[in-house]
Amino acid sequence: MRYAVISDIHANLEALTAVLKDIEKQSVDQVVCLGDVIGYGVDPIPCVDLVEKHCSIKLKGNHEAAALGEVSTDHYNPAARHSAEWTRAHLNDSARNIISAYVMEHEEPGVYFVHASPLEPTTWRYVLNVDEAGAGIACMPQRIGFNGHTHLPMIFSSYKKNPIRQTIGHSFCPDPETRYLVNVGAVGQPRDNDPRASYAIFDTVEEEITFKRIEYDIKTTQDKMIQAELPELLIARLSAGR
Amino acid sequence: MPEIIVKYEDKVIERIVTEKKRLSIGRTNDNDIVLENRGVSRKHAVIEFNDKAAVVIDNESLNGTFVNNRKVTEEILRDEDIITIGKYSLIYHTQAAPGQGGTEMDGTMVLNTKKHRQLVQNDRMEREIVAKYDGSVLLGEENADFSEFKIDRDIITFGKAKFVNVVCRGFWLSGIQAKLVKEEGGYAIHNMGKKGKTLVNGEVVDYRLVRNGDLITVGKSTFKMVERKD
Repeated sequence: MRYAVISDIHANLEALTAVLKDIEKQSVDQVVCLGDVIGYGVDPIPCVDLVEKHCSIKLKGNHEAAALGEVSTDHYNPAARHSAEWTRAHLNDSARNIISAYVMEHEEPGVYFVHASPLEPTTWRYVLNVDEAGAGIACMPQRIGFNGHTHLPMIFSSYKKNPIRQTIGHSFCPDPETRYLVNVGAVGQPRDNDPRASYAIFDTVEEEITFKRIEYDIKTTQDKMIQAELPELLIARLSAGR
Repeated sequence: MPEIIVKYEDKVIERIVTEKKRLSIGRTNDNDIVLENRGVSRKHAVIEFNDKAAVVIDNESLNGTFVNNRKVTEEILRDEDIITIGKYSLIYHTQAAPGQGGTEMDGTMVLNTKKHRQLVQNDRMEREIVAKYDGSVLLGEENADFSEFKIDRDIITFGKAKFVNVVCRGFWLSGIQAKLVKEEGGYAIHNMGKKGKTLVNGEVVDYRLVRNGDLITVGKSTFKMVERKD
């Protein structure tokens, strides 16, 4: 099986289109979306529709949960809260129905998918360090897990009783005795100082995980956000990639 | 302590600082430096350190070990030398950059349910605090005059003077020793005083972007940053 794994699109249609175009060339069997299709950007509905069309496995992110009123946005920072309210106001019934069917966790043979952490997926934990990753990996029902949420391409690996290892996302061949939690980075709002859209391919036959970075028309996305009067912080961070 | 910067196709993926006298390099996870890719042998090479020098020794690997683009079987390493193995470059530094710890390789991590529970409990507590104050908060950890302090302005001052926002203890501290300043993407701590020190997670800093869970120490007082997340 060959999976393309995308996450954190954040209503960025240009980034999603560019990534899907690249995926078309990769001969994958399934496209998996790890959630946060919406929020921050101006094109929630087209992005929800495209994900629905191309992805066979769809996970729920905290931005979907917020738009559906399943979680409070009280603790969000002002920019995130403004964008959550904007998104909620701009979704239609069809998009709401689609995202309400997204699942919190999904398992396939040998692989597990979640938006945030395998430890308590519903509390949207950020896996940013080895302690948090170790706790998450220990909860994974499969040896290899994929997540998103932090917008940082990252690999955490756990081999026997060795300390958890943390490396920046890069293409690699998983070791059969090691457990991995692989963050695929963000399609629509990368935060690792590289503004290009990020996604990964997992080939279970070749036993290889490949990280991909894709250029897209950032300026068009930013112009649309300016027109929609979305917070300056959210617009500026796209070209900075952080 | 020596340092190895691991790059994959020109992107830094890992930094290893170690006191070990011998570092094994290979594809399998029982090596000290794991390079999980085809083109790397299971036990590809080792770096041995003694008091005077470091030597890289190829372990009869299939695709070879290169130092500064030259194939080697055994080679003394100099500062900034680049070892190439498959698609990886390992840059050798005789001394790690100051102020950066090397716990990744040498630390131990034991997972147990107690640790899980503690993580979950801390997280829940932090979420409740952030919700209560409707914003980011500093928690007083050591020698602090408060247990919770709402970060309700763009600049928070730390020091010995009475007029600062957060009064800290420590003989060498200046009146204003540090300030926490709102920046794009979060808050950053700036050290201002000359004799006293400001630390983030135990590391002396002049300037550092502070993240959720970071410990800020000014003199003898320590505070934990609990950030409102998005």
